[in-house]
Amino acid sequence: MSALLLALLLQAAPAHAPEAVPGPAAGTTQAAEAPAPHAPADAPAAGAPGHGAEPGHGDPSTVIMHHVTDVPLKIGPVVLPSKHLVFFLLAMALVIALVQVAVRSYRGGNIPRGMGAALEGLVLFIRDEIAEPNIGHGDGRKFTPLLCSFFSFILVAALLGLMPFAATSTGNLAVTMGLALVSFAAQQYAGISKYGIAGHFHNLIPPGLPVWLLPIMIPVEILSMFTKPFALMIRLFANMLAGHMVITTLLLLISLMGQISWLGGVAMAPVSILLSLFIMLLEVLVAFIQAYIFTLLSAIFIGMYAHPAH
Amino acid sequence: MNPQAFAYIAAGLGAGLTIIGGAAGIGRLAAAAMEGIARQPNAAGDIRGAMIVAAGLIEGVTFFALIVTILLAIK
Repeated sequence: MSALLLALLLQAAPAHAPEAVPGPAAGTTQAAEAPAPHAPADAPAAGAPGHGAEPGHGDPSTVIMHHVTDVPLKIGPVVLPSKHLVFFLLAMALVIALVQVAVRSYRGGNIPRGMGAALEGLVLFIRDEIAEPNIGHGDGRKFTPLLCSFFSFILVAALLGLMPFAATSTGNLAVTMGLALVSFAAQQYAGISKYGIAGHFHNLIPPGLPVWLLPIMIPVEILSMFTKPFALMIRLFANMLAGHMVITTLLLLISLMGQISWLGGVAMAPVSILLSLFIMLLEVLVAFIQAYIFTLLSAIFIGMYAHPAH
Repeated sequence: MNPQAFAYIAAGLGAGLTIIGGAAGIGRLAAAAMEGIARQPNAAGDIRGAMIVAAGLIEGVTFFALIVTILLAIK
């Protein structure tokens, strides 16, 4: 619930941002001339005397929020309602196309070539290193397709977001919530399909627990049932958001230094570009690590419900 | 001082404290993992996998705090 609130706050931020202080210079002049006791009134006043000609254009927080929040996508005359949705569908189509190409390479013989050989390694890695050890033999095979979908979608979506003019669809709380809900459903399905509903909930209590601990353990276990997918959701969202925010902030340093003096902007440019290039390379690594972590944690949680009390 | 100034101060201090906590956690984790790998090089793969998971969990909590500081800074 609080995550939804966070999302709403993040979404609402650009609407409020233009009334923020444009720069440190305007803020100090305002503080010097009128120490107004009422806070809401002083923000527009700060913008008025200084260079308030372009509201929300040079303002760092507006630029950062515009970069990471969902905006309508304009391609020539066509205006699509949501950039994240476009790149979500693009990532989905890309994954499906890659898999189709991979499956096609298996026809006419048992030895895969090209894309099939490349994806076989990935699928085998997920089956043998993630699903089977964490969920168990037999059960692991059953959940491998789901885990492969998680891995490839998160990876493709994150890598798509690193391209110029693109957006990371997993940097949207709604998308990660969808992924986490699927993971939650898979966790519950793993327990319920094996032990039945009553058995599934009975398994939440570890065997041999003293009776007086039950009033504590039952709420805790039910709470942890929901916090697991919640943590999955926030982790992926924050990771995808943070990298883009850091890159934008580093590039904004150029214009911030340039506001002081043009020499500052020129001196800052190589430093900023090198640092953001470094973070960009780190983001490629993060894309793989986050896809791995989401898949692995999903597998571990599914395994917890499929084989309780280990 | 207007309330916005306090929010900016809180955001800066909060981000710093968050990073101290996250760095301490991941530092201890990495140190222990390195020691484990040095003592038992055969188990390097398993240790690395477990290390990445634990690092992801620590990082997740750190990001909770960072989002709060970001909200303080931009609201």
